[in-house]
Amino acid sequence: MSTADPVPGAVADAGQTPLPDVGAASRRSSSSGGVIRHAEAYALPALLVAVAILFSVLPSTSDTFPSMPNVQTIVGNQSVVGIIALAALIPLVCNQFDLSVGATLGLSSILSASVLSSGASIPVAIVVGIAVGGAVGVVNGLLITRAGVNAVIATLGTAIVIHGIVTWKTGGESIVDIPASVTNFGSANTLGVPRTFVALLLVALAVYYLLEHTPFGRYLYSLGSNPSAARLVGLNTNRLVFQSFVASGMLSGAAGVLQLARSGSASPQVGENFTLPALAAAFLSAAAIRPGRFNVGGVIIAIFFVAVLNSGLNLAGAAAYVSDFVNGIALIAGVALSAAFGRGRTGQ
Amino acid sequence: MTGATAGGAVALRLHEIEKSFGQTRALKGVSFEVKGGEIHALLGGNGSGKSTLVKILAGVYNADGGSIEVRGHRLRAEATTPAAAQALGLRFVHQQPSTFPDMSVAENLSLGRGFETGVGRNIRWRTVRARARAVLDRFGIDADPGQPLGALGAAEQTMVEIARALQDQEGESDDILVLDEPTASLPAPEVKILLDALRRYAADGQTIVYVTHRLEEVLAVADRVTVLRDGDHIATVPCEGLTHDALVELIVGRSVDSVFPESGGERHKNVALEVRGLRGGPVTGVDLTVRSGEIVGLAGLVGSGRSSLLRMIFGDLRPDAGVLELDGAVIAPRTPLQAMNAGIAYVPETRSDAAFADMTLAENLSAASVPSYWRGGRLHSRAERADTLRLIEAFAVKAAGPGIAFGTLSGGNQQKAILGRWLRRDPRVLLLDEPTHGVDVGARIEIYATIRRAVDAGAAVLVASSDFEELAGLCDRVAVISGGRIVAEAKGAELGSDRLQQLAYTNGGEQ
Repeated sequence: MSTADPVPGAVADAGQTPLPDVGAASRRSSSSGGVIRHAEAYALPALLVAVAILFSVLPSTSDTFPSMPNVQTIVGNQSVVGIIALAALIPLVCNQFDLSVGATLGLSSILSASVLSSGASIPVAIVVGIAVGGAVGVVNGLLITRAGVNAVIATLGTAIVIHGIVTWKTGGESIVDIPASVTNFGSANTLGVPRTFVALLLVALAVYYLLEHTPFGRYLYSLGSNPSAARLVGLNTNRLVFQSFVASGMLSGAAGVLQLARSGSASPQVGENFTLPALAAAFLSAAAIRPGRFNVGGVIIAIFFVAVLNSGLNLAGAAAYVSDFVNGIALIAGVALSAAFGRGRTGQ
Repeated sequence: MTGATAGGAVALRLHEIEKSFGQTRALKGVSFEVKGGEIHALLGGNGSGKSTLVKILAGVYNADGGSIEVRGHRLRAEATTPAAAQALGLRFVHQQPSTFPDMSVAENLSLGRGFETGVGRNIRWRTVRARARAVLDRFGIDADPGQPLGALGAAEQTMVEIARALQDQEGESDDILVLDEPTASLPAPEVKILLDALRRYAADGQTIVYVTHRLEEVLAVADRVTVLRDGDHIATVPCEGLTHDALVELIVGRSVDSVFPESGGERHKNVALEVRGLRGGPVTGVDLTVRSGEIVGLAGLVGSGRSSLLRMIFGDLRPDAGVLELDGAVIAPRTPLQAMNAGIAYVPETRSDAAFADMTLAENLSAASVPSYWRGGRLHSRAERADTLRLIEAFAVKAAGPGIAFGTLSGGNQQKAILGRWLRRDPRVLLLDEPTHGVDVGARIEIYATIRRAVDAGAAVLVASSDFEELAGLCDRVAVISGGRIVAEAKGAELGSDRLQQLAYTNGGEQ
């Protein structure tokens, strides 16, 4: 019935078409929409700057917050969570959740620590860390594309199993006998800039290139936008999902090695605390720089927005649990804002 | 025929129902009566107003004028709501099943009406099952209340849906059941089971309004028939004595010439696409050729297999058997990418299967051509932008610029861009499924012109549509598909939309 009569069909069209006079509507959105688009894109960066200025002038934090050591701490400490947020970003672009990024980081950190403590060289430890992450990504990817398990369930499951493996391997003890050359990298600065931050910037550039300047990135965004349309323009959707999880796993593995260098020891509990802040930042990325679209610049802004807020509140004497509030609210705000921007962009 | 109708009191009376959409008068004062205990078929072709009328009865649309009366209770048709329709005793079973195959028959019967509960709001399963048992007996459904619904045959599932709609009627059969294409997705043996059940219900006094395209079913089961055409009430007549041809004549408005046309000589160039014995799913054996420089139409009703046929040619559905040849060479695309590389392009039936709504117009236009911008380790966005501007111009897409979100464009402009996405690849064969569905007239004309230009440049086009006027106007030749087979072909002087409707109806349901 519904496909038969042109008259109701025409009405359905009127319903689907948000703007009857397209030419005029597009012209409108190009003039006034440009301003709104810019406001959306730079609201969060502006808020980041505003919060930083606030804590710099607030009497209770004006001595400590803007100091060089504090800035170096903020910047240096965010590198690990930044890299696994970028890891989670890649599957998220094609609409898949990777809840195993934190656990993968923990596993990589433990295994690279154990090869280091048994005398392996640093490059070997790095390769081990990244390979372990890649292996987790392969398992996730196979579970999702071959076994058809929902990504949330599959990665939650692997995260729990990994936690078990880590506890079994370590007996719950941290691995502490890490060569000084490794820990030196984690705490050293080059020209006043923490080296871990440099590592974050390099990874961010690489992910930016992958997502914005290669066909692979374009295909991931297409798949995230409309899976059936992606299939019908010839994309191998299963392969893309699989590759996105392998990339995510390898980046999480790299983050594990960096975490080892930063903290100087590998704790079996370290992974768990990273997953939610990283996912929060990945979600929040759709609210900045390129509104409605998960993007690398947005991840970096989101990470530092939360970090600056936490640092300032901490220095102002707020209780430790306040940072949980900040992280939680940031996650919800990120999802809500990106949904709102997404609706605005598609006119739905 | 049920025979239980003669002299039945009027159960449903429609009086001067009017409805316009903008300039179009969909219903021009339609009045007719449905008697208690009869099966009353409602027929009409594309644009007849049949769908609109059903939606007004269901309270989905408000009419502009007229009234609906059920057993003396009168409702202004301007003020219908789904709740008011329900209160009047109008019960609907739609084409799309609204049942839950994984849940039990008893649960399906209770959902939407409520479960019997005990003091702690707990479900009293024994009562629920007993009541389900009684309902199944009453409606003659051979099923166990505890069985999952999906384990039943297709006809039984529809009967459970009917039983769910009717189980609580106050009198024995006071409600009016409106069945909207209930057999559209049923295989032939299941259709017979369902029709037998409907006959029994009517014999017990149930009033049924039966909306369908399938004329054999009407002749087999209906007591009276109402035909709409172009928003006018054409006739309400007893079914007895009516012939198939007479029904078609009422629907189409012209007399029927039942001689099938011969496929004439080919004045076009070499064969670009040849389909031989293609089978799989709803496609039961299709032979078809499309030549270079030719637009071939595929006329078919809902469920005829037209969309599946196109998806098989595009490698998106795997056929069970059959051969595809492109320019004389056998191809067997197993994925859309393989079909694309062979030179085939495909625009799907619904835009939601083609549009990347939250991506830009530029990204949508280049969605099937991304590798061409990948040179020297990066995507050349400047070249992409330049191409986009050229394509916007060439395909008459009205948009502010390449960076605008695709979802903000109108349906017509989205469709033009999707067509551009494929035509920029200069395909050998272009497959179009309902290319102007939900597109305004202006964009429609531009889309037709674009298709014709592609064909003049040597492409071969196969276009499926249920808009027979479109096919008659656009195509060089039209194949009529029904029951998964090509049952007729029309060309030249035969290419009128009336003629196509006759062909589609005449062969409809013949499986």
